Amino acid sequence: MSSLSIESEFAQRSLEHHTRRHFLRNCATGLGSLWLADQTVGGARAAMAESSDPEFRIPAKAKRVIFLHMIGAPSQLELFDYKPDLVKFDGKECPREYLEGQRFAFIQGTPTMLGPQFPFQQYGESGAWLSDRLPEFSKVVDQVCFIKTVQTDQFNHGPAQLMVHCGQARVGYPSIGSWVTWGLGQENEDLPGFIVLLSGGRPPRVGNALWSSGFLPSVYQGVQCRSTGDPVLNVANPDGVTRDSRRAALDALKRLNEMNHESFGDPETLTRIAQYEMAFRMQMAVPEAMDINREPQYVQDAYGVEPGKTSFANNCLLARRLAERGVRYIQLFDWGWDSHGSQQSESLNGGFIDKCKQMDRPVAALLKDLDERGLLEDTLVVWGGEFGRTSMAENRGGVATRFVGRDHNPNAFTMWLAGAGIRAGMSYGETDAMGYQPALNPVQLRDLHATMQHLLGLDPQRLSFPFQGLNQKLIGVKPARVIEEILA
Amino acid sequence: MTSGASGDEQLSFNEHIRPIFNQHCVACHGGVEQAGGLSFVHGDAASYIVEPGEPDASYLIERVTSEDPEERMPPPDHGKGLSQQEIDLLRTWIQQGGNWGKHWAFVKPEKSEPPIASSEDSAWTTSRIDAFVLKRMRQAGLAPAPEADPQRWLRRVTLDLTGLPPTPEELAEFLQAVEAQGAAAYEATVDRLLKSPAFGERWASVWLDVVRYADSKGLGLDGRRTIWKYRDWVIRAFNADMPFDEFTVKQIAGDLLPDPSMDDLVATACNRLTQTCEEGGTDDEMFRVEAVIDRVNTNMTAWQGLTFGCVQCHSHPYDPIQHAEYYKLLAFFNNTADSDLGSEEPNVLVPLEHNDTEEARVLDRQIEATRETLWEEAYDVLANQSQWSELRDFEVSTNNSTKVVTAEVDGHFEYQTRGTVAKETTVVVEAAVPSGLTQLAALRFTGLPKDEKAARMDSEWGFVISHIQLELLEGDADPRILEIADVIADQPQTILDPMLSLNAKSQHGFGAYSRIHYPRTGYFVLAEAIPVSADARLRISLRQDVFETGAFPLVAHRGRLAITGDAPILDWESQQSVQQRRAELADMQARRRKIPSVRIPVLRELPVSFSRPTHVFDRGNYLTKTDGVPASTPEILGGPQANEEHALNRLDLARWIASPENPLTARVAVNRFWAQLFGSGIVRTQEDFGSSGDAPTHPDLLNDLAARFSTEMGWSVKTLLRELVLSSTYRQSSVVSSDKLAADPQNVYLSRGPRRRLPAETIRDQALAISGLLSKKQFGEPVHPPIPDGIWLPFQGGDRWDTPDRDDPDRYRRTIYTYIKRTIQFPVMASFDAPTREFCAPRRLPSNTPLQALMTLNDATFVEASQALAERMFDHSVELQEQLQYGFLLATCRDPQPRELQPLIDLYEIRRNEEDAHAPDEAGTESTRLNALTSVASVLLNLDEVLNK
Repeated sequence: MSSLSIESEFAQRSLEHHTRRHFLRNCATGLGSLWLADQTVGGARAAMAESSDPEFRIPAKAKRVIFLHMIGAPSQLELFDYKPDLVKFDGKECPREYLEGQRFAFIQGTPTMLGPQFPFQQYGESGAWLSDRLPEFSKVVDQVCFIKTVQTDQFNHGPAQLMVHCGQARVGYPSIGSWVTWGLGQENEDLPGFIVLLSGGRPPRVGNALWSSGFLPSVYQGVQCRSTGDPVLNVANPDGVTRDSRRAALDALKRLNEMNHESFGDPETLTRIAQYEMAFRMQMAVPEAMDINREPQYVQDAYGVEPGKTSFANNCLLARRLAERGVRYIQLFDWGWDSHGSQQSESLNGGFIDKCKQMDRPVAALLKDLDERGLLEDTLVVWGGEFGRTSMAENRGGVATRFVGRDHNPNAFTMWLAGAGIRAGMSYGETDAMGYQPALNPVQLRDLHATMQHLLGLDPQRLSFPFQGLNQKLIGVKPARVIEEILA
Repeated sequence: MTSGASGDEQLSFNEHIRPIFNQHCVACHGGVEQAGGLSFVHGDAASYIVEPGEPDASYLIERVTSEDPEERMPPPDHGKGLSQQEIDLLRTWIQQGGNWGKHWAFVKPEKSEPPIASSEDSAWTTSRIDAFVLKRMRQAGLAPAPEADPQRWLRRVTLDLTGLPPTPEELAEFLQAVEAQGAAAYEATVDRLLKSPAFGERWASVWLDVVRYADSKGLGLDGRRTIWKYRDWVIRAFNADMPFDEFTVKQIAGDLLPDPSMDDLVATACNRLTQTCEEGGTDDEMFRVEAVIDRVNTNMTAWQGLTFGCVQCHSHPYDPIQHAEYYKLLAFFNNTADSDLGSEEPNVLVPLEHNDTEEARVLDRQIEATRETLWEEAYDVLANQSQWSELRDFEVSTNNSTKVVTAEVDGHFEYQTRGTVAKETTVVVEAAVPSGLTQLAALRFTGLPKDEKAARMDSEWGFVISHIQLELLEGDADPRILEIADVIADQPQTILDPMLSLNAKSQHGFGAYSRIHYPRTGYFVLAEAIPVSADARLRISLRQDVFETGAFPLVAHRGRLAITGDAPILDWESQQSVQQRRAELADMQARRRKIPSVRIPVLRELPVSFSRPTHVFDRGNYLTKTDGVPASTPEILGGPQANEEHALNRLDLARWIASPENPLTARVAVNRFWAQLFGSGIVRTQEDFGSSGDAPTHPDLLNDLAARFSTEMGWSVKTLLRELVLSSTYRQSSVVSSDKLAADPQNVYLSRGPRRRLPAETIRDQALAISGLLSKKQFGEPVHPPIPDGIWLPFQGGDRWDTPDRDDPDRYRRTIYTYIKRTIQFPVMASFDAPTREFCAPRRLPSNTPLQALMTLNDATFVEASQALAERMFDHSVELQEQLQYGFLLATCRDPQPRELQPLIDLYEIRRNEEDAHAPDEAGTESTRLNALTSVASVLLNLDEVLNK
């Protein structure tokens, strides 16, 4: 390659290094090899297998992530962020200083303030404030670290959800799950490393852009699994094809492909043979992992699952089963948290109450179950929405809404983390008296991303991929920091 | 490598010097950071550190060789110092004059003299390309692979040029022809394939990735978008071998061509493939700006191979492209009428039948011309020939909680809203008829932005007069509603029909939709002159009900009213020629409506009087604008520059991009076609020809091809492809020895034929073709082939995926005709690395996954293809051996070797025994034999050889 300039040669080398060869090496060193089985490789590749760990790897606390995203943005003011002063302002016109320079999705002109809709009290040894909507969760609250001051710069759902998962408001960038599986490889050879589960009756509006691999190789995109029907697309054999006959067909295919490799010498052929074998194993492993009926009744009861249906409770139990089997990144999306107040199902005094019930028990059960099985030690659990909700009542179109609701607030919202490497029983960051802006320790989504990567043993500054002329990172180009204060 | 330069050889700045600067210096002295005012990106900004001819007197050498760690560059904590070899190169370069060369890709490509091959090699170099390739190959110590078997070349070239496999008949004819005519058979085959209608379908797919084609709007709701006429335009363009320069100009600025045809307008839909956001509460202006930014980025990547994203926020870190130059480019695209509207306006009505296109276009032109003259005449009478009396000292109220007051601004009386504006606001103004008026003829309403000066830069939400009512109040008489007969807006083409202000049932009408930059004026003409008494009063109700994206009431925040009693407008309205032209217009419109058509979003330039000024965004934030900039091209590329006398528009940009003088266009295009055939580009980073991208592996070859493509080949894509697929380079066998694989794993030196997994579209199309299911029907609305249950979960409930039955050919159309939804990718495309078409994707990164195996083994389309292939094999012969041979031939375009038949025979036997055991009554029947053959067929369709070219 003598005509290549030094930097382009470097770029090319790192591209190859980070993509194909990277996971070829991972296979060889046993880091993870879902996508490739052992194979004899040419000299150049064998050489790569001997190189040391990539420069972005650092010591890890967490091996896997369960991310619970409440789609629509749950109200922090009705769950975690207790604001007694807001009670006093309930029904009063919003002070001017809150409105200057702010842009809202739906609020017009001068809205009125809206006090918390549910009573709060302190729970656990940590004395965490919670509303009365979370009776089960209150029992495990000491496992959790709250961040009250997460900020985003997007105030519409689609772009804001992309910010949470891809660090960019536009579609086409890799999601955290893709970055993580790309950086760490697989733990389980028979299951995808990045699995997505949906509940709530509707998918997130930007769909699979939230679990896209973006410019990373497509092998790292999230695989959506279903708790009803085929758990993975096309995982079931067609009608009339038994496992034995599939085996016979794959044997014939393998023999022919091996002859083809003898003739052409293309190593990709060996990879393909391995992938067909992997597919065959997945056909057994995925339905097994995705079958909650295999759980004892008392476990099913603890989560409150509804077998045969699609529910958030089912997905929480599935998340534990997948974590147990070594799936690297488990992403849950639960739709229905957009409490504007414009209709009953999307209001704080309506749909929100139901959503809390559907969420409270399974989340508590999940944390307890992970803990009892020793999985919480190396599993990072993250809970949150795409932004927060305003301290003012919504007045869409300049008129009061029919039900009680709040508009989107990107300035401050609550997320919580639990498990691997997280300081349990603490709260970080404080919002102002109205719960509208951070008063102390604001946290950017990119800080959260950096912290997650750090816990997983990935250097957030170094985990990058060259695309469109930049070394792209999940944390982007603005300064991001690991939130050391919340680490155990 | 750099060591190749000996002392007396002339150094190349790009090859030898720039890499040193890029590696060691530009992080601090680049386009963004310019520590000490020094930049190694801009030659001018570094001239003071070099004394041409005198290395020892040059500050550059002093600093890089200094012994003092405080002095030495780069500083120790920034990285390693320069090697002795690098310092020597810098000295030699300064000795030779220290000339700062332009980055290779910014210099216009010139034809290169092909290297002379040695006599033993000359037999191999049958084309100009081969000579360049062979030289590099020999330098790397490699030798060409033998020529591929004719049947393997035939399969490769047929798949590459048409995206479909050759049939056994085509194979037989070709083998006979090779026997009879030798090399001429190859040329005849290529000519046949280039003429195939399938050619355009294959190559359109490649282009659609680049221009991010989809049948949905993306973002928020990702609703359906009707834009498939553009996809058909691309297919037709490739089939007609439309020269690439013409192809370019039409897509960037077809609307600005003199007297554009319907196809020219459809071509501009290329730039309407941006995402629009229909989510409630989203700001149309924000997403309009996003779309314009995406147009700049996509056009620059698609045609110029430049990645511009970074320049949005700051000057380019590696290339001499300034921050402001990005916004000068943006200015070319900032003045189209589209503004992220749910209706996708402006649209053009395109006939469903391509044959009706010209008739429709002729009618459209006549309709447009008639409307425009009628508008001009009426507007002239109203705006220039009538005396207007402003309504002053009026009372104003609304029907709801919206507060309004009156005020005087610059001598004009107006109403103004205060505080929160509620939706569905009707503003009611009651005023005395201005003194001196004895009759009423027309009313004028002007809606103004809250802040006129600021709105010019940052538009505000606009307004729409959904309905207007004018009442005359005289004495004790009941109010009399005056009939309004005509509405004339302040521009001839509007997004909403102003006349709808007269239709109480419609929310639409005259206004500034959906954003307001300038005050906007509408004229409401009475049906007849109305005499008024001196004490008469008027009541005007302005209903403004549009509630944009369910969040923003489009209500004029300020409004002024005036009245005229002058009759010329009424005279004009009643003129016979006006009446007659209106009748003609109605007749033409009726005829036009009879031509079944679809609405396709296109580009349309705003009239100069309403143009949006372009400003530089501070750090890329559209809300903080700084200096105003004219439309102009980046200086480094040597294109036209705007000056005081000469403003540039999109057509100027398009023509410059499509010019042989442009250093990048031909290179980028040639490289893209090359990559499709050979697996990767001569420049591997197809999306980045800047100095952070890869250098070409064969620079002379790329220059030569690019220069010839834009001149002697006349930008003909077919001519270019013909030359490539007939070259010895392309004809090589793809068999690779382990030694060669170790020496050149990526086949950079092209010492073997390309062997790549087929693209997603071809994987599916080929299975359909082999099995005989493929429909050859071309063009038309997108189709909905089978997809697995549970995948189609659109955000909008009414968005349905209706799959045609198995006897409907639309189930088996070529993949390019499949409905493309951005947020729910068609599974075959998703599994096989196709991009989601959200933004420009010049290359697909190949993967090799178990989900692909599940797809081609179990997906409905492939299962149906296996069944159909089994039937085809079954019908071919009663002999199993012959059935298997035929199936193998269909799938691979060659006869199987005996040992390759054995696994298929074994599988057949196992499966038949299994079937017989399962249903002993049916043992040995046709159905059990077919089932067993279906397993064999599935294996054939899944062969590595079949999935690869």
